[in-house]
Amino acid sequence: MNHRPTRPPASRARAPRRPSLTGRLLTGLFLPALLLSGGAQAAALTVFAASSLTDAFTEIGRDFDRQTGNRTTFQFAGSQTLRTQLENGARADVFASASDTQFTPLVGKVVAARQVFARNTLTVIVPRGSARVRTLADLTRPGLRIVIAAPGVPAGEYTRQLLAAVDRAGTYGQDYAARFMKNVVSEEPNVRQVALKVQLGEADAAVVYTSDVTPALKARVQAVALPSRFAALTPYPVGVTLDSRSAPQARAFVAYLLSPDGQRTLRKWGFRAAR
Amino acid sequence: MTAFLLLPTLTLLARGLNASFLPTLLSPAVTDTLRVSLWTTGLSVLLTAALVTPVAFLLARFDFRGKAVLETLLDLPVVLPPVVAGLGLLLVFGRTGLLGAPLELAGVSVAFTPAAVVMAQLFTSAPFYLRAARAGFSAVDRDVEQAAQIDGAGRAQVFRFITWPLAFPFLLEGLVLAWARALGEFGATILFAGSLQGRTRTVTLSVYAALESDLGPALVLSAVMVCVAFTVLLVVRSLAARRG
Repeated sequence: MNHRPTRPPASRARAPRRPSLTGRLLTGLFLPALLLSGGAQAAALTVFAASSLTDAFTEIGRDFDRQTGNRTTFQFAGSQTLRTQLENGARADVFASASDTQFTPLVGKVVAARQVFARNTLTVIVPRGSARVRTLADLTRPGLRIVIAAPGVPAGEYTRQLLAAVDRAGTYGQDYAARFMKNVVSEEPNVRQVALKVQLGEADAAVVYTSDVTPALKARVQAVALPSRFAALTPYPVGVTLDSRSAPQARAFVAYLLSPDGQRTLRKWGFRAAR
Repeated sequence: MTAFLLLPTLTLLARGLNASFLPTLLSPAVTDTLRVSLWTTGLSVLLTAALVTPVAFLLARFDFRGKAVLETLLDLPVVLPPVVAGLGLLLVFGRTGLLGAPLELAGVSVAFTPAAVVMAQLFTSAPFYLRAARAGFSAVDRDVEQAAQIDGAGRAQVFRFITWPLAFPFLLEGLVLAWARALGEFGATILFAGSLQGRTRTVTLSVYAALESDLGPALVLSAVMVCVAFTVLLVVRSLAARRG
Protein backbone atom coordinates (compact mmCIF):
# COMPACT_ATOMS: atom_id res chain seq x y z
CA MET A 1 0.00 0.00 0.00
CA ASN A 2 2.71 2.48 0.84
CA HIS A 3 4.82 2.00 -2.23
CA ARG A 4 3.40 2.14 -5.69
CA PRO A 5 5.90 1.56 -8.45
CA THR A 6 3.42 2.76 -11.04
CA ARG A 7 3.67 5.96 -13.02
CA PRO A 8 2.61 8.77 -10.77
CA PRO A 9 -0.66 10.40 -11.75
CA ALA A 10 -0.20 13.86 -13.12
CA SER A 11 -3.15 15.41 -11.41
CA ARG A 12 -4.22 14.78 -7.87
CA ALA A 13 -0.93 13.07 -7.18
CA ARG A 14 -0.69 11.01 -4.04
CA ALA A 15 -2.23 13.01 -1.26
CA PRO A 16 0.57 14.56 0.79
CA ARG A 17 -1.00 13.28 3.99
CA ARG A 18 -1.20 9.54 4.08
CA PRO A 19 -4.04 7.74 5.81
CA SER A 20 -3.36 7.39 9.51
CA LEU A 21 -1.51 4.33 10.73
CA THR A 22 -4.56 3.02 12.54
CA GLY A 23 -6.62 3.53 9.44
CA ARG A 24 -4.17 1.56 7.40
CA LEU A 25 -3.88 -1.13 10.04
CA LEU A 26 -7.63 -1.40 10.09
CA THR A 27 -7.92 -1.82 6.34
CA GLY A 28 -4.86 -4.02 6.24
CA LEU A 29 -6.04 -6.37 8.95
CA PHE A 30 -9.77 -6.23 8.91
CA LEU A 31 -10.65 -6.03 5.27
CA PRO A 32 -8.95 -9.33 4.39
CA ALA A 33 -10.45 -10.87 7.50
CA LEU A 34 -13.81 -9.56 6.47
CA LEU A 35 -13.42 -10.79 2.92
CA LEU A 36 -12.20 -14.20 3.98
CA SER A 37 -14.79 -14.64 6.70
CA GLY A 38 -17.31 -15.95 4.19
CA GLY A 39 -15.34 -19.17 4.06
CA ALA A 40 -13.58 -17.93 0.96
CA GLN A 41 -10.11 -19.23 0.29
CA ALA A 42 -7.65 -17.41 -1.90
CA ALA A 43 -8.45 -18.15 -5.51
CA ALA A 44 -7.49 -17.33 -9.06
CA LEU A 45 -9.94 -14.74 -10.36
CA THR A 46 -10.52 -13.85 -13.99
CA VAL A 47 -11.92 -10.40 -14.55
CA PHE A 48 -13.21 -9.29 -17.96
CA ALA A 49 -13.00 -5.51 -18.06
CA ALA A 50 -13.57 -2.73 -20.59
CA SER A 51 -10.42 -1.36 -22.25
CA SER A 52 -10.87 1.99 -20.56
CA LEU A 53 -10.36 0.29 -17.19
CA THR A 54 -6.91 -1.06 -18.13
CA ASP A 55 -4.77 1.14 -15.87
CA ALA A 56 -7.17 1.52 -12.95
CA PHE A 57 -7.96 -2.19 -12.75
CA THR A 58 -4.34 -3.25 -13.10
CA GLU A 59 -3.54 -1.22 -10.00
CA ILE A 60 -6.70 -2.28 -8.18
CA GLY A 61 -5.94 -5.92 -8.96
CA ARG A 62 -2.49 -5.59 -7.47
CA ASP A 63 -3.81 -3.97 -4.29
CA PHE A 64 -6.67 -6.44 -4.01
CA ASP A 65 -4.35 -9.42 -4.43
CA ARG A 66 -1.96 -8.06 -1.84
CA GLN A 67 -4.75 -7.67 0.67
CA THR A 68 -6.57 -10.91 0.04
CA GLY A 69 -3.99 -13.30 -1.36
CA ASN A 70 -6.03 -13.94 -4.49
CA ARG A 71 -4.51 -14.01 -7.94
CA THR A 72 -6.50 -11.74 -10.19
CA THR A 73 -5.91 -11.75 -13.92
CA PHE A 74 -7.58 -9.38 -16.34
CA GLN A 75 -8.70 -9.50 -19.88
CA PHE A 76 -9.12 -6.03 -21.26
CA ALA A 77 -11.01 -5.49 -24.52
CA GLY A 78 -13.93 -3.53 -25.89
CA SER A 79 -16.98 -4.28 -23.71
CA GLN A 80 -18.84 -5.59 -26.77
CA THR A 81 -16.00 -8.07 -27.49
CA LEU A 82 -16.10 -9.29 -23.90
CA ARG A 83 -19.87 -9.60 -24.07
CA THR A 84 -19.65 -11.73 -27.25
CA GLN A 85 -17.03 -13.91 -25.60
CA LEU A 86 -19.12 -14.34 -22.44
CA GLU A 87 -22.22 -15.15 -24.46
CA ASN A 88 -20.22 -17.80 -26.27
CA GLY A 89 -19.09 -19.51 -23.13
CA ALA A 90 -15.89 -17.74 -22.10
CA ARG A 91 -15.16 -18.28 -18.41
CA ALA A 92 -14.79 -15.26 -16.19
CA ASP A 93 -15.63 -14.47 -12.59
CA VAL A 94 -16.35 -10.77 -12.94
CA PHE A 95 -17.50 -8.65 -15.88
CA ALA A 96 -16.97 -4.88 -15.74
CA SER A 97 -18.45 -3.05 -18.72
CA ALA A 98 -18.14 0.50 -19.96
CA SER A 99 -21.82 0.67 -20.78
CA ASP A 100 -25.21 -0.69 -19.82
CA THR A 101 -25.92 -1.60 -23.46
CA GLN A 102 -23.32 -4.34 -23.28
CA PHE A 103 -24.21 -5.33 -19.72
CA THR A 104 -27.94 -5.21 -19.00
CA PRO A 105 -28.83 -7.93 -21.56
CA LEU A 106 -26.50 -10.29 -19.68
CA VAL A 107 -28.09 -9.80 -16.24
CA GLY A 108 -29.72 -13.05 -15.17
CA LYS A 109 -28.13 -14.95 -18.06
CA VAL A 110 -24.39 -14.48 -17.62
CA VAL A 111 -24.00 -12.15 -14.66
CA ALA A 112 -25.94 -12.33 -11.42
CA ALA A 113 -26.65 -8.66 -10.79
CA ARG A 114 -25.67 -5.15 -11.80
CA GLN A 115 -23.86 -2.61 -9.66
CA VAL A 116 -22.46 0.70 -10.83
CA PHE A 117 -18.93 1.20 -9.54
CA ALA A 118 -17.74 4.25 -11.48
CA ARG A 119 -18.72 6.87 -13.99
CA ASN A 120 -16.87 8.37 -16.88
CA THR A 121 -17.25 11.17 -19.35
CA LEU A 122 -16.05 11.92 -22.87
CA THR A 123 -13.39 14.36 -23.91
CA VAL A 124 -11.67 15.36 -27.13
CA ILE A 125 -7.92 14.84 -27.31
CA VAL A 126 -5.47 16.38 -29.75
CA PRO A 127 -1.70 15.99 -30.13
CA ARG A 128 0.18 18.12 -27.59
CA GLY A 129 1.01 21.55 -28.97
CA SER A 130 -1.53 21.28 -31.76
CA ALA A 131 -3.40 24.53 -32.30
CA ARG A 132 -5.82 23.20 -34.89
CA VAL A 133 -8.56 22.24 -32.44
CA ARG A 134 -9.57 24.59 -29.63
CA THR A 135 -13.33 24.16 -29.53
CA LEU A 136 -15.93 21.71 -30.77
CA ALA A 137 -16.50 23.95 -33.77
CA ASP A 138 -12.96 23.30 -35.05
CA LEU A 139 -13.70 19.59 -35.37
CA THR A 140 -15.75 20.12 -38.51
CA ARG A 141 -13.02 21.98 -40.36
CA PRO A 142 -12.48 20.24 -43.70
CA GLY A 143 -9.37 18.10 -43.86
CA LEU A 144 -9.11 17.43 -40.15
CA ARG A 145 -8.48 13.77 -39.34
CA ILE A 146 -10.62 12.44 -36.52
CA VAL A 147 -10.60 8.93 -35.07
CA ILE A 148 -13.49 7.61 -33.00
CA ALA A 149 -14.62 4.24 -31.66
CA ALA A 150 -16.77 2.02 -33.89
CA PRO A 151 -20.53 1.74 -33.41
CA GLY A 152 -21.25 -0.95 -30.82
CA VAL A 153 -18.19 0.03 -28.79
CA PRO A 154 -19.51 1.95 -25.76
CA ALA A 155 -17.23 4.93 -26.40
CA GLY A 156 -18.41 4.89 -30.01
CA GLU A 157 -22.05 4.85 -28.99
CA TYR A 158 -21.54 7.70 -26.52
CA THR A 159 -19.66 9.69 -29.17
CA ARG A 160 -22.64 9.39 -31.49
CA GLN A 161 -25.01 10.38 -28.68
CA LEU A 162 -22.79 13.38 -28.01
CA LEU A 163 -22.96 14.39 -31.69
CA ALA A 164 -26.73 14.01 -31.67
CA ALA A 165 -26.95 16.22 -28.57
CA VAL A 166 -24.78 18.90 -30.20
CA ASP A 167 -26.96 18.70 -33.30
CA ARG A 168 -30.13 19.13 -31.27
CA ALA A 169 -28.72 22.11 -29.40
CA GLY A 170 -27.80 23.74 -32.69
CA THR A 171 -24.95 25.64 -31.04
CA TYR A 172 -22.44 24.73 -33.72
CA GLY A 173 -24.64 25.14 -36.73
CA GLN A 174 -26.54 22.90 -39.09
CA ASP A 175 -25.51 19.29 -39.73
CA TYR A 176 -22.77 19.38 -37.13
CA ALA A 177 -22.79 15.59 -36.78
CA ALA A 178 -22.66 15.04 -40.54
CA ARG A 179 -19.77 17.46 -40.99
CA PHE A 180 -17.98 15.85 -38.05
CA MET A 181 -18.43 12.34 -39.43
CA LYS A 182 -17.02 13.47 -42.78
CA ASN A 183 -13.70 14.03 -41.01
CA VAL A 184 -13.67 10.62 -39.36
CA VAL A 185 -10.86 8.58 -40.93
CA SER A 186 -11.10 5.47 -38.77
CA GLU A 187 -13.52 3.72 -36.44
CA GLU A 188 -11.51 1.64 -34.01
CA PRO A 189 -12.54 -1.57 -32.21
CA ASN A 190 -11.76 -0.20 -28.75
CA VAL A 191 -11.22 3.13 -27.10
CA ARG A 192 -7.55 2.60 -26.28
CA GLN A 193 -6.83 2.14 -29.99
CA VAL A 194 -8.57 5.47 -30.56
CA ALA A 195 -6.33 7.22 -28.05
CA LEU A 196 -3.26 5.51 -29.50
CA LYS A 197 -3.85 7.05 -32.93
CA VAL A 198 -3.61 10.56 -31.47
CA GLN A 199 -0.70 9.57 -29.24
CA LEU A 200 1.17 8.43 -32.35
CA GLY A 201 0.33 11.71 -34.02
CA GLU A 202 -1.55 9.96 -36.82
CA ALA A 203 -4.87 11.61 -36.08
CA ASP A 204 -5.59 15.30 -35.42
CA ALA A 205 -8.30 14.63 -32.88
CA ALA A 206 -10.14 11.80 -31.18
CA VAL A 207 -13.03 11.33 -28.81
CA VAL A 208 -12.14 9.23 -25.76
CA TYR A 209 -13.02 9.05 -22.07
CA THR A 210 -11.41 11.53 -19.69
CA SER A 211 -9.97 8.47 -17.93
CA ASP A 212 -8.09 7.54 -21.12
CA VAL A 213 -5.92 10.61 -20.74
CA THR A 214 -3.51 8.68 -18.54
CA PRO A 215 -0.24 10.09 -17.25
CA ALA A 216 1.58 8.18 -20.01
CA LEU A 217 -0.67 9.77 -22.62
CA LYS A 218 -0.55 13.27 -21.14
CA ALA A 219 3.01 13.73 -22.36
CA ARG A 220 1.80 13.37 -25.95
CA VAL A 221 -1.75 14.70 -26.02
CA GLN A 222 -3.84 17.46 -24.57
CA ALA A 223 -7.54 17.42 -23.81
CA VAL A 224 -10.08 19.84 -25.19
CA ALA A 225 -12.83 20.01 -22.58
CA LEU A 226 -16.39 19.52 -23.75
CA PRO A 227 -19.15 21.88 -22.61
CA SER A 228 -20.56 20.12 -19.55
CA ARG A 229 -24.09 20.03 -20.95
CA PHE A 230 -22.86 17.71 -23.72
CA ALA A 231 -20.50 15.65 -21.58
CA ALA A 232 -22.87 13.16 -20.01
CA LEU A 233 -21.66 10.99 -17.15
CA THR A 234 -21.89 7.37 -18.23
CA PRO A 235 -22.16 4.49 -15.76
CA TYR A 236 -19.81 1.50 -15.50
CA PRO A 237 -21.71 -1.61 -14.37
CA VAL A 238 -20.02 -4.64 -12.82
CA GLY A 239 -21.29 -8.07 -11.82
CA VAL A 240 -20.23 -11.54 -10.74
CA THR A 241 -20.85 -14.20 -13.37
CA LEU A 242 -23.38 -16.95 -12.69
CA ASP A 243 -20.90 -19.72 -13.46
CA SER A 244 -18.03 -18.28 -11.42
CA ARG A 245 -16.12 -21.02 -9.64
CA SER A 246 -14.97 -18.56 -7.00
CA ALA A 247 -18.08 -16.51 -6.41
CA PRO A 248 -17.19 -15.39 -2.86
CA GLN A 249 -13.82 -14.04 -4.01
CA ALA A 250 -15.45 -12.49 -7.06
CA ARG A 251 -17.96 -10.73 -4.81
CA ALA A 252 -15.05 -9.59 -2.65
CA PHE A 253 -13.47 -8.04 -5.74
CA VAL A 254 -16.66 -6.16 -6.53
CA ALA A 255 -16.86 -5.05 -2.88
CA TYR A 256 -13.29 -3.84 -3.13
CA LEU A 257 -14.15 -1.76 -6.20
CA LEU A 258 -16.83 0.00 -4.16
CA SER A 259 -14.64 0.34 -1.05
CA PRO A 260 -12.89 3.66 -0.32
CA ASP A 261 -9.57 2.16 -1.47
CA GLY A 262 -11.00 0.98 -4.77
CA GLN A 263 -12.82 4.25 -5.37
CA ARG A 264 -9.65 6.20 -4.60
CA THR A 265 -7.70 4.29 -7.24
CA LEU A 266 -10.49 4.76 -9.76
CA ARG A 267 -10.50 8.50 -9.07
CA LYS A 268 -6.75 8.59 -9.44
CA TRP A 269 -7.14 7.22 -12.98
CA GLY A 270 -9.74 9.83 -13.91
CA PHE A 271 -13.02 8.08 -13.12
CA ARG A 272 -15.85 9.73 -11.24
CA ALA A 273 -17.50 8.36 -8.12
CA ALA A 274 -20.15 5.70 -8.54
CA ARG A 275 -22.79 7.76 -6.81
CA MET B 1 -6.27 -34.79 -36.26
CA THR B 2 -8.14 -34.73 -39.56
CA ALA B 3 -11.32 -33.88 -37.71
CA PHE B 4 -9.51 -31.19 -35.76
CA LEU B 5 -8.38 -29.57 -39.00
CA LEU B 6 -11.66 -30.00 -40.83
CA LEU B 7 -14.34 -29.28 -38.24
CA PRO B 8 -13.79 -25.54 -37.74
CA THR B 9 -13.83 -24.76 -41.48
CA LEU B 10 -16.77 -27.04 -42.18
CA THR B 11 -18.70 -25.55 -39.27
CA LEU B 12 -17.96 -22.05 -40.59
CA LEU B 13 -19.36 -23.12 -43.96
CA ALA B 14 -22.43 -24.71 -42.41
CA ARG B 15 -23.16 -21.72 -40.17
CA GLY B 16 -22.35 -19.16 -42.86
CA LEU B 17 -24.27 -20.71 -45.74
CA ASN B 18 -27.70 -20.34 -44.13
CA ALA B 19 -30.94 -18.81 -45.32
CA SER B 20 -29.76 -15.26 -44.74
CA PHE B 21 -26.53 -15.80 -46.68
CA LEU B 22 -27.57 -13.94 -49.83
CA PRO B 23 -29.28 -10.96 -48.16
CA THR B 24 -26.31 -10.53 -45.84
CA LEU B 25 -23.86 -10.94 -48.71
CA LEU B 26 -25.66 -8.17 -50.59
CA SER B 27 -25.88 -5.80 -47.62
CA PRO B 28 -23.86 -2.60 -48.04
CA ALA B 29 -21.50 -3.40 -45.16
CA VAL B 30 -20.50 -6.70 -46.76
CA THR B 31 -20.31 -5.50 -50.38
CA ASP B 32 -18.27 -2.47 -49.27
CA THR B 33 -15.80 -4.63 -47.51
CA LEU B 34 -15.51 -7.13 -50.38
CA ARG B 35 -14.97 -4.25 -52.81
CA VAL B 36 -12.24 -2.73 -50.61
CA SER B 37 -10.53 -6.10 -50.22
CA LEU B 38 -10.73 -6.97 -53.92
CA TRP B 39 -9.28 -3.77 -55.26
CA THR B 40 -6.60 -3.29 -52.61
CA THR B 41 -5.37 -6.88 -52.93
CA GLY B 42 -5.61 -6.63 -56.73
CA LEU B 43 -3.46 -3.52 -56.73
CA SER B 44 -0.97 -4.98 -54.28
CA VAL B 45 -0.64 -8.12 -56.44
CA LEU B 46 -0.05 -6.00 -59.56
CA LEU B 47 2.58 -3.96 -57.74
CA THR B 48 4.16 -7.15 -56.41
CA ALA B 49 4.42 -8.63 -59.90
CA ALA B 50 5.78 -5.43 -61.42
CA LEU B 51 8.30 -4.52 -58.72
CA VAL B 52 9.39 -7.86 -57.32
CA THR B 53 9.90 -9.88 -60.53
CA PRO B 54 13.07 -7.97 -61.60
CA VAL B 55 14.49 -8.27 -58.09
CA ALA B 56 13.80 -12.00 -58.05
CA PHE B 57 15.45 -12.41 -61.46
CA LEU B 58 18.56 -10.51 -60.41
CA LEU B 59 18.83 -12.44 -57.15
CA ALA B 60 18.49 -15.74 -59.00
CA ARG B 61 21.09 -14.88 -61.63
CA PHE B 62 23.80 -12.84 -59.96
CA ASP B 63 26.06 -13.56 -57.04
CA PHE B 64 27.52 -10.81 -54.93
CA ARG B 65 28.93 -10.29 -51.49
CA GLY B 66 26.28 -10.26 -48.80
CA LYS B 67 23.66 -11.83 -51.06
CA ALA B 68 22.66 -14.39 -48.44
CA VAL B 69 22.19 -11.64 -45.86
CA LEU B 70 20.14 -9.54 -48.28
CA GLU B 71 17.94 -12.51 -49.19
CA THR B 72 17.33 -13.28 -45.53
CA LEU B 73 16.43 -9.66 -44.82
CA LEU B 74 14.02 -9.60 -47.75
CA ASP B 75 12.38 -12.77 -46.46
CA LEU B 76 11.95 -11.28 -43.01
CA PRO B 77 8.30 -10.16 -43.40
CA VAL B 78 7.34 -13.78 -44.05
CA VAL B 79 8.08 -14.69 -40.46
CA LEU B 80 7.53 -11.29 -38.85
CA PRO B 81 4.22 -11.02 -36.95
CA PRO B 82 2.02 -8.71 -39.07
CA VAL B 83 1.32 -6.35 -36.19
CA VAL B 84 5.08 -5.83 -35.85
CA ALA B 85 5.18 -5.08 -39.55
CA GLY B 86 2.40 -2.54 -39.01
CA LEU B 87 4.35 -0.82 -36.26
CA GLY B 88 7.39 -0.68 -38.52
CA LEU B 89 5.36 0.85 -41.34
CA LEU B 90 3.91 3.36 -38.90
CA LEU B 91 7.36 4.39 -37.69
CA VAL B 92 8.51 4.95 -41.26
CA PHE B 93 5.42 6.20 -43.08
CA GLY B 94 3.34 7.51 -40.17
CA ARG B 95 2.78 11.24 -39.91
CA THR B 96 5.70 11.69 -37.56
CA GLY B 97 7.67 8.83 -39.13
CA LEU B 98 11.02 8.71 -40.83
CA LEU B 99 9.64 9.32 -44.34
CA GLY B 100 6.14 10.24 -43.24
CA ALA B 101 7.13 13.60 -41.81
CA PRO B 102 8.76 14.89 -45.03
CA LEU B 103 5.91 13.41 -47.06
CA GLU B 104 3.45 15.22 -44.83
CA LEU B 105 5.24 18.49 -45.53
CA ALA B 106 4.91 17.74 -49.23
CA GLY B 107 1.19 17.33 -48.70
CA VAL B 108 1.17 13.54 -49.01
CA SER B 109 -0.39 11.69 -46.13
CA VAL B 110 -0.57 7.92 -46.13
CA ALA B 111 -2.03 6.72 -42.82
CA PHE B 112 -5.77 5.95 -42.80
CA THR B 113 -5.94 5.88 -46.60
CA PRO B 114 -6.50 2.90 -48.90
CA ALA B 115 -2.86 3.44 -49.92
CA ALA B 116 -1.90 2.44 -46.39
CA VAL B 117 -3.93 -0.77 -46.79
CA VAL B 118 -2.09 -1.58 -50.01
CA MET B 119 1.26 -0.83 -48.39
CA ALA B 120 0.51 -3.10 -45.43
CA GLN B 121 -0.49 -5.88 -47.84
CA LEU B 122 2.51 -5.31 -50.08
CA PHE B 123 4.92 -5.39 -47.18
CA THR B 124 3.57 -8.63 -45.73
CA SER B 125 2.82 -10.50 -48.98
CA ALA B 126 5.50 -9.51 -51.51
CA PRO B 127 8.19 -11.69 -49.86
CA PHE B 128 6.07 -14.78 -50.56
CA TYR B 129 6.18 -13.97 -54.25
CA LEU B 130 9.86 -13.09 -54.09
CA ARG B 131 10.71 -16.53 -52.69
CA ALA B 132 8.66 -18.35 -55.31
CA ALA B 133 9.91 -16.25 -58.22
CA ARG B 134 13.53 -16.58 -57.13
CA ALA B 135 13.11 -20.35 -57.00
CA GLY B 136 11.42 -20.24 -60.41
CA PHE B 137 14.20 -18.31 -62.13
CA SER B 138 16.84 -20.50 -60.44
CA ALA B 139 15.10 -23.64 -61.68
CA VAL B 140 15.40 -22.65 -65.35
CA ASP B 141 18.09 -24.80 -66.99
CA ARG B 142 20.94 -22.53 -68.04
CA ASP B 143 21.96 -25.00 -70.78
CA VAL B 144 18.66 -24.43 -72.56
CA GLU B 145 19.20 -20.67 -72.47
CA GLN B 146 22.73 -21.04 -73.77
CA ALA B 147 21.55 -23.34 -76.55
CA ALA B 148 19.10 -20.67 -77.65
CA GLN B 149 21.84 -18.05 -77.54
CA ILE B 150 24.08 -20.22 -79.73
CA ASP B 151 21.22 -20.54 -82.15
CA GLY B 152 21.31 -16.75 -82.47
CA ALA B 153 18.70 -15.55 -79.98
CA GLY B 154 19.31 -12.14 -78.37
CA ARG B 155 19.23 -11.78 -74.60
CA ALA B 156 15.76 -10.30 -74.68
CA GLN B 157 14.55 -13.13 -76.91
CA VAL B 158 16.06 -15.73 -74.56
CA PHE B 159 14.20 -14.16 -71.67
CA ARG B 160 10.96 -13.82 -73.60
CA PHE B 161 10.86 -17.28 -75.16
CA ILE B 162 12.88 -19.48 -72.79
CA THR B 163 13.29 -18.10 -69.26
CA TRP B 164 9.89 -16.52 -68.87
CA PRO B 165 7.73 -19.46 -70.00
CA LEU B 166 9.77 -21.92 -67.93
CA ALA B 167 9.60 -19.83 -64.78
CA PHE B 168 6.02 -18.74 -65.31
CA PRO B 169 4.22 -21.48 -63.29
CA PHE B 170 6.44 -20.66 -60.31
CA LEU B 171 5.68 -16.97 -60.65
CA LEU B 172 1.96 -17.61 -60.90
CA GLU B 173 1.97 -19.88 -57.87
CA GLY B 174 3.91 -17.28 -55.90
CA LEU B 175 1.50 -14.59 -57.00
CA VAL B 176 -1.53 -16.62 -55.90
CA LEU B 177 0.05 -17.22 -52.50
CA ALA B 178 0.96 -13.55 -52.15
CA TRP B 179 -2.59 -12.59 -53.03
CA ALA B 180 -3.99 -14.97 -50.43
CA ARG B 181 -1.64 -13.54 -47.83
CA ALA B 182 -2.67 -10.00 -48.76
CA LEU B 183 -6.34 -10.95 -48.46
CA GLY B 184 -5.78 -12.31 -44.96
CA GLU B 185 -3.74 -9.31 -43.78
CA PHE B 186 -5.04 -8.00 -40.47
CA GLY B 187 -2.43 -6.89 -37.94
CA ALA B 188 -0.52 -4.42 -40.05
CA THR B 189 -3.69 -3.03 -41.64
CA ILE B 190 -5.56 -2.24 -38.43
CA LEU B 191 -2.53 -0.53 -36.95
CA PHE B 192 -1.39 1.37 -40.01
CA ALA B 193 -4.53 1.96 -42.06
CA GLY B 194 -7.30 2.05 -39.46
CA SER B 195 -10.76 0.73 -40.17
CA LEU B 196 -13.43 2.68 -42.02
CA GLN B 197 -16.27 1.09 -43.95
CA GLY B 198 -15.96 1.44 -47.71
CA ARG B 199 -12.48 2.89 -47.49
CA THR B 200 -10.01 0.90 -45.43
CA ARG B 201 -12.14 -1.84 -43.85
CA THR B 202 -11.05 -5.07 -45.51
CA VAL B 203 -12.71 -8.47 -45.12
CA THR B 204 -10.61 -9.50 -42.13
CA LEU B 205 -11.17 -6.18 -40.35
CA SER B 206 -14.87 -6.53 -41.10
CA VAL B 207 -15.05 -10.01 -39.61
CA TYR B 208 -13.39 -8.65 -36.50
CA ALA B 209 -15.66 -5.61 -36.31
CA ALA B 210 -18.79 -7.66 -36.98
CA LEU B 211 -17.88 -10.18 -34.30
CA GLU B 212 -18.38 -7.46 -31.77
CA SER B 213 -21.92 -6.56 -32.63
CA ASP B 214 -23.62 -8.92 -35.04
CA LEU B 215 -22.35 -12.41 -35.78
CA GLY B 216 -24.25 -12.63 -39.12
CA PRO B 217 -21.91 -10.71 -41.43
CA ALA B 218 -18.91 -12.29 -39.71
CA LEU B 219 -20.23 -15.77 -40.52
CA VAL B 220 -21.04 -14.91 -44.12
CA LEU B 221 -17.64 -13.31 -44.71
CA SER B 222 -15.94 -16.24 -43.02
CA ALA B 223 -17.77 -18.68 -45.29
CA VAL B 224 -16.69 -16.61 -48.29
CA MET B 225 -13.10 -16.70 -47.05
CA VAL B 226 -13.24 -20.48 -46.64
CA CYS B 227 -14.42 -20.84 -50.26
CA VAL B 228 -11.74 -18.43 -51.47
CA ALA B 229 -9.05 -20.30 -49.55
CA PHE B 230 -10.20 -23.59 -51.04
CA THR B 231 -10.13 -22.17 -54.57
CA VAL B 232 -6.67 -20.70 -54.00
CA LEU B 233 -5.33 -24.06 -52.89
CA LEU B 234 -6.91 -25.80 -55.92
CA VAL B 235 -5.28 -23.27 -58.24
CA VAL B 236 -1.90 -23.69 -56.55
CA ARG B 237 -2.18 -27.49 -56.79
CA SER B 238 -3.04 -27.44 -60.45
CA LEU B 239 -0.18 -25.02 -61.11
CA ALA B 240 2.18 -27.29 -59.25
CA ALA B 241 0.95 -30.24 -61.29
CA ARG B 242 1.56 -28.33 -64.54
CA ARG B 243 5.04 -27.44 -63.37
CA GLY B 244 5.88 -30.99 -62.36
